[in-house]
Amino acid sequence: MNEIIQQLRRLNLAMLAAMLALLGLGIAFIYSAAFGLTGQAGLNLYEKQIGWAAIGLACFLLFALTDYHYLTRFAWLFYVAGLVLLVLVFVPEVGMKMYGARRWIQAGGVRLFQPAELMKIACVILLARLFGYPGRNVRRWRYSIIGLVLTLVPAALIIKQPDMGTAMIFFPVLLGGMFAAGVPGRKIAVFLVGAGLIVLFVGAAIVLPPRAGMPENEHKRLLTRIGISPYQRERILVFFDSRRDPLGSGWNKAQSQIAVGSGGLFGKGYMQGTQNILGFLPRTVAPTDFVFSVIAEETGFAGALATLTLFGILFYGGLRAAAVAGDKLGSMLCVGFITMLFCHVFINIAMTVGLAPITGIPLPFVSYGGTFMVSTMSALGLVQSVHIRGEWK
Amino acid sequence: MTFIQITGWEKGRLYVLALIMLAGLGVLAAAIWFIQLGRGDMYLSSQEQQSVRRVRLPAVRGKIFDRNGICLADNQPDYGICIYLEELRRAGRKRQTAQKAWTLIEQLSWVLEIEPQVTLKQVNNHLYNRKPLPMTVWKHIDHKAMARFAEESMRFPAAEISFDSTRVYPRAATAAHIVGYVGASAAGEDDDQQYHYYLPDMEGKRGLEKEYNRWLAGTAGGRLVRIEVSGFKHDETGIRAPVPGGDLRLGLDLRLQKIAEDAIADTCGAVVVLDPGTGDILAMASAPAFNLNLFNSGISVDEWRKLAEDERKPLFNRAVMGLYAPGSAFKPLVAIAALVQGKAAADSVFACEGTYELGGQVFSCHLGEPHGEVDLVKALEVSCNVYFFRLGLQCGYDALYHMALAAGFGNKTGVDLDNEAAGLMPSKAWKRQVRGETWRDGDTCNISVGQGALLVTPLQMAVFTAAIANGGRLFRPRLVTGQRRYDQNDFEPVPPVLERDLHWAPAHLAILREGMRRVINEPSGTGHPAALPDVVMAGKTGTAEFGRKGSGQQRGWMILFAPFDNPRYAVAMVVDESISGGVSAGPRLKRMMAEIFAIHGAEG
Repeated sequence: MNEIIQQLRRLNLAMLAAMLALLGLGIAFIYSAAFGLTGQAGLNLYEKQIGWAAIGLACFLLFALTDYHYLTRFAWLFYVAGLVLLVLVFVPEVGMKMYGARRWIQAGGVRLFQPAELMKIACVILLARLFGYPGRNVRRWRYSIIGLVLTLVPAALIIKQPDMGTAMIFFPVLLGGMFAAGVPGRKIAVFLVGAGLIVLFVGAAIVLPPRAGMPENEHKRLLTRIGISPYQRERILVFFDSRRDPLGSGWNKAQSQIAVGSGGLFGKGYMQGTQNILGFLPRTVAPTDFVFSVIAEETGFAGALATLTLFGILFYGGLRAAAVAGDKLGSMLCVGFITMLFCHVFINIAMTVGLAPITGIPLPFVSYGGTFMVSTMSALGLVQSVHIRGEWK
Repeated sequence: MTFIQITGWEKGRLYVLALIMLAGLGVLAAAIWFIQLGRGDMYLSSQEQQSVRRVRLPAVRGKIFDRNGICLADNQPDYGICIYLEELRRAGRKRQTAQKAWTLIEQLSWVLEIEPQVTLKQVNNHLYNRKPLPMTVWKHIDHKAMARFAEESMRFPAAEISFDSTRVYPRAATAAHIVGYVGASAAGEDDDQQYHYYLPDMEGKRGLEKEYNRWLAGTAGGRLVRIEVSGFKHDETGIRAPVPGGDLRLGLDLRLQKIAEDAIADTCGAVVVLDPGTGDILAMASAPAFNLNLFNSGISVDEWRKLAEDERKPLFNRAVMGLYAPGSAFKPLVAIAALVQGKAAADSVFACEGTYELGGQVFSCHLGEPHGEVDLVKALEVSCNVYFFRLGLQCGYDALYHMALAAGFGNKTGVDLDNEAAGLMPSKAWKRQVRGETWRDGDTCNISVGQGALLVTPLQMAVFTAAIANGGRLFRPRLVTGQRRYDQNDFEPVPPVLERDLHWAPAHLAILREGMRRVINEPSGTGHPAALPDVVMAGKTGTAEFGRKGSGQQRGWMILFAPFDNPRYAVAMVVDESISGGVSAGPRLKRMMAEIFAIHGAEG
């Protein structure tokens, strides 16, 4: 008992406070965004989110109090289990198809969880072990290559679901880990150039053939062959031309920008956002991927900046935990999780303000969603575990 | 970064990461600043102007025609009045908005002189569940109400005439089971249009409307219209054209369909008429039937309950869903199985004493009268049970079972209709699993005369009859013979599907057909009541008990093909509450075939 109290005293309190504040913010604005909308079990969404937050907090404490060395011993086990779950998503009675994508594991028609979210955690832990194993010379090519394979396998399975956005998170997490581990800049540059070439190729495949006069149907078939569905293409094209398909794919982007833009300095007040209340921002996305635009509309620039600051505290605290970590393993864990969180935050907010295409990446701790909530809070628990056991007074 | 120890790592890189993240947050903050404060005015004004109507442009559903181009399912324009609830709302509580909407509805009701069709509760529901959509408050308004609305529309900026099309079935109760009907679709989860709000389209609930829903439905479109506070429509900011659904052409001949329906209209039963050369369904009737136009504009609860709870099950398509024991009408299958196995020939003779004893159990011929020495042709003609008990045993159940499967029994025929039943062709393994008993010779005897656990659909019997008529080719029965998209003038033919060629030898078929010809054309044949004076037909009757054993309830079967030498029709009929197949179904088929030949005779 005493030991637990000792450990709790060494928690990074600023990070804890920032996390709790973001949770509260999320619940409050899910209440606002989803007013009158009931979920699967007939509960209001915000009530369900409170439940998820409670489960998340329990996981957070559990992982914070567990020695991360102990957990990383099972890194491969987690990883393989994650892969198995990702494959199970495609089994008809086990996986659930919603909105044309297979992202859920179900039991008797009830959605249980999204394996992709759990895989993110498992992947970070295994990468941390790969790069943080004592006495390993990470400057050698082999570790970067192994790291690349370890990220590409789950990413490929997730693209197959299809969930391009979630799959894309894996790559920057790998790069962040490699960079912090001390992999030479040249090797990282090779990876970056490779990624850049792929992006260029995909971009060219989307934009060029129609200009060269390829018929619509053949173009669609070509894109499907390289793994891009018609709606993904739409979203990317909408990103570059907001007047395209204003009734369909372009709607959310335009409405989200209008919502954020009309917020002004201090916003319209809690539950007064007209974009939100009038349903221009569709109810299906306002509490999830677009919750930040509700916050920005109702609390204005001040609220948006405060939210960003809370995330900044989390990132800073996480990287500081990496710096004071007792060993490289702990440090790599922190870097992996913080890079992952940063990517979510950046892509999600960039999307709501129109800086990035719509990808369906949720905002950590704030967006509605069970699996993601539990997995991100577990991740922060592990960061705290590293911090607790770090070398600081 | 000039020198990094071989095994070490540099915590300095963490600062670089921290700087990257700080820069990322900075970029986001700058972007938010730019659109909230730098260009905020622009977005604010774009929001004030933004009273955008999403007008739904419904897709017109495809039509269904019979083989002669007579329309079985059509559309009719339908006008209504909808209100845009979100335009009634300024900041404030939902209840006030609902009250406002209700006041508007009452005013409209007074001006247009029509009673409200919705309740305050429905307005509230709509407000909570799908506010961005216009709410239809009146459906099917007449021209008077439309004219009044046109005069007064400036007073009601939040209301508008809405257009939709209603499904109509010009032929009312004819072919009701085949055409099916439409109803409002449940919200689809399975499309990638998760970000769009559109009103549900009508969706096929039964019959062809359901089976071909994707083809018939088309895709609804939409239009964005910006509305000024005064209610003046500004401009269209986006449009997506609706894609009308495609049409279907059936092999069905409506005249034959009518004749077939009349033939069984006074009882419960089904009749199927196939073209043996293609498997096209020329007519398929199930009695009792129902009136399709009940479903046109939403059936009332009472009417629905009356239909659904009717003991005679008018909604049930007996031709493809009804499961019956085929009785003696199954004997041609036993005959062909034995012939193919070489276990029977034209001169195989068995003596019939009227009863047959097997392991202490007594099986008997109809009425227990002995037929004496009979050969296969005679046994078919007089439907001698004892002969077929012996033939079935001689043939062996395995051969019988496999021939029945090959001839399509025990499996769905694959007809393009929903809810087809597969029937049951019991196997030895089936009996062991389900009944926990081993297969006995008595079971083989029962199956040999179409009794026991055997269950077939009228359509399966018709497909089998067609195979006898066309030389052993088993076609997949089909309704749709042509499809055309909305932008095509001609129907693209759908080729018939040959399931399999059964490779029955002509000599074997000749024996079977001769027996079936005598069934109808010999005075002693069980199907003689169906005989026509000027057309030679061939068939087989059957009678099967149903309900509790000994209850005396019987169903009469008759299958036939005609004309004998060059068959153009393969028919299967089953009727409830019969004395026997020949007596009950025979005269009905006689009348039906006579009428068919009267109108169709010259064309073949």
